[in-house]
Amino acid sequence: MITDNARLQPATSTLSGRRFLRAYSLALMLVVVTALFTAIQPAFIQPENVIGILYQVSLIGTMAVSSTFVIITGGIDLSVGPVVALAGLAAVFSLRDNGQVLVPALFAGLLTGLICGVLNGIAVAAFRLPAIVVTLATVSIYRGAALLIGGSVLHQVRGPESFLYIGSGRVAGFIPFPIFIFVGMTLVMYFLQTRTRFGLTVFATGENAEAARLCGLPVARTRLLVYLISGIGAAIGGIVLSSQVSTGAATYGNGIELDVIAAIVLGGTSLRGGSGSVLHTVIGALLIGEINNGLSMLNVSIEQQLIAKGLIIVLAIAFSDRLSRWADK
Amino acid sequence: MTSFSNNVVLKARGLSKQYGTVQALDNVDLDLCGGEVQALVGSNGAGKSTLVKILTGAVVPDRGNLTLNGKVFAGGDTKAALDAGLACIYQESQLVPALPVIDNIVLGRHPTNRLGFLNRKAQRETVVALLSRHNLQLDLDIPVQALPPVQQKEVEIAKALSLNARVILMDEPTASLSHAEVEKLFRSIRGLREQGVAILYISHVLDEIFSIADRVTVIRDGRVHLSTPIAEITKKTLVDTMLGHQLATEVTATHQHARSSQQVALECRGLSKSGYFEDIDLCVHNGEIVCITGLVGAKRSELVRALFGAEPAERGEILVYGHPVKIRNPLDAIRLGIGFVPEDRRQDGLFMGLPISANTVMAYLAKVTHLGMLSQRLMRVIGKKQIEDLDIVPPRLDLSPRALSGGNQQKALLGRWLAGDARILILDEPTVGIDVGTKANIYSLLRKLASAGRAILLVSSDMEEVMTIADRVIVMAQGRITGTFEGAQLSQEMILRAASGEVSQ
Repeated sequence: MITDNARLQPATSTLSGRRFLRAYSLALMLVVVTALFTAIQPAFIQPENVIGILYQVSLIGTMAVSSTFVIITGGIDLSVGPVVALAGLAAVFSLRDNGQVLVPALFAGLLTGLICGVLNGIAVAAFRLPAIVVTLATVSIYRGAALLIGGSVLHQVRGPESFLYIGSGRVAGFIPFPIFIFVGMTLVMYFLQTRTRFGLTVFATGENAEAARLCGLPVARTRLLVYLISGIGAAIGGIVLSSQVSTGAATYGNGIELDVIAAIVLGGTSLRGGSGSVLHTVIGALLIGEINNGLSMLNVSIEQQLIAKGLIIVLAIAFSDRLSRWADK
Repeated sequence: MTSFSNNVVLKARGLSKQYGTVQALDNVDLDLCGGEVQALVGSNGAGKSTLVKILTGAVVPDRGNLTLNGKVFAGGDTKAALDAGLACIYQESQLVPALPVIDNIVLGRHPTNRLGFLNRKAQRETVVALLSRHNLQLDLDIPVQALPPVQQKEVEIAKALSLNARVILMDEPTASLSHAEVEKLFRSIRGLREQGVAILYISHVLDEIFSIADRVTVIRDGRVHLSTPIAEITKKTLVDTMLGHQLATEVTATHQHARSSQQVALECRGLSKSGYFEDIDLCVHNGEIVCITGLVGAKRSELVRALFGAEPAERGEILVYGHPVKIRNPLDAIRLGIGFVPEDRRQDGLFMGLPISANTVMAYLAKVTHLGMLSQRLMRVIGKKQIEDLDIVPPRLDLSPRALSGGNQQKALLGRWLAGDARILILDEPTVGIDVGTKANIYSLLRKLASAGRAILLVSSDMEEVMTIADRVIVMAQGRITGTFEGAQLSQEMILRAASGEVSQ
């Protein structure tokens, strides 16, 4: 005990450069990757390509920032993939059955995500089941439900224009609308994380649930809420996706949870809980987007891209981990 | 008793160890002979655990050397200690609960056949031979978790013997045992003694020491103050040596605080939780420090955790300032102005990933919420006030509590409750692992808080602490109150008697 204290003296004497690295190791990774791709292919940094990258990551990014709190509490939400499909189908069916009106469709989609999230949350918070087991089961349940209502066919969206604008519209004819959704969700989550009691309670729950309980903090309610938010984030993803491709289908979002979790973890949020940041998740999502985009520009085949992406993710995490460890010394 | 001097198995010379500014061990010599049970006693923080850690190789001494079976034995290597024939039975079980006895005894050293598969037959033969050699009777195929505590200890003993241990350290081996089980364990220990095994027996329970030990060694402030055959010492001398004369005089000076108020802050009547505590009546007045003491397993923590609502009681009533209240969870208690500092400040108290400022406001987030938003400014104001009031060093809001010493961590936890003006403070073992200087600091802080009218209920196993700080002492044994002592009538012996289960007034 005493040795621990001796080792971890205040960081006042630490080089400021090291502290800088510790705080910004991830941002630095982003700069390095950007510079690397730009050096190989100068078109990488062109505004059109940058906007392209942002557009590509906006779906995963929106879902990842919404799911970051789950991981900060020490949980995990694997079920975001099927929720994308279910929420998309709910929105598309609502459009079909209610004469192509936007608001009820959004409502139906978001409500679907909320219900899926709440069910996950109840199982984790009230029945105290391990999140990985719960959401592994709900992956199956939600996907099954999507197949049950959606069958194996694509369901075409026939309007309205406003619905199609969500996924394919461009603000000022230039910036795709999903980027605004991504930015908007990020701002909301960042506000919750830094400015609310809920955000602090999320950290406290993940860091030390027993201590949080002894402080009178609503640990169970917090757990429930983070899954609810994750479900809503996935539903937004589902609505955006269905709008982008103007169809709904039970198979959408298959495997997307891996990219979502990769973005969060690449952002430095520990799967053990207690640490993490919404803004870092944004950087994680951008890194994944840059890697995908850069490799495509370099004409790397899709098979090789998958392998390269996996390797880069592991190396990037190892690198930023080493960097912050070194800075911690 | 026969003389063992020509049969020294374990010999320590000049062991010293310093942690930061604390001299945990100072030039300690120890001789342990084969066929001897030597008791090692001392109050908490005296240096016993450091000595044990050095002997088992978990800690490297700054100075001094060890000889085991005539061979010099380099410290800092737990495997080497085991191989040299020194085993330790810790207070906490080191067994795998779900595995049967037979596997636990040879865990990691299973006999194998030529193909590398387990040789079950050879394993059973070895273990049966071992047990019969040492007169231990254990059912080999029962999972350890299904055994009563005393048999679990015997499994640990068997495990030590299977390593050919000639020296066995036992750290509070009776902590979780009933009276009858203690007798059974003692029979096993006497059996070992007859086999020539050297046993270092660490315990707080003096009666046990007088019935099992051949020799007793007293350690205080990191030094050996006495080492003598048990027959040549009285209980009183032993206690005096353990506590030191200085304390004996200090005690009378500090603990006599007249109760400043007749207002009862916290009271419980007939509080019960089956399997834990039964029929507990107690009260704490404003301005009073009440200590609950007793041996490990007396269920003191369980009682105070029930008062705070962490694990509520099943029956009985709790009154706060005379009003009957329902405390079903910590939040209920907090709303009634009760604060609780848990026993394990790292595990159950602090948020290491959050800065000190956040740690100090965590129980009263409403106080740092402005217009529905968390105010970093208010958090800093409150954190700064606690750091200044409690003299937390280093005075930095942005650091993780990891950067604080144990004492300062404890202050930060206290600050968490003072930040919200908790009027009733419950502290579970607040000074465990804290050095003497900071302890005194915390005592004067608690006294100051009490003088300002707060009611303080404190659980402590540290006799010195109880004698120093308590206005009133409540002694528990096996889930019941077995004695209540006002400050003026406090005596070590009365407390120890009550703690070992003798009911007194």
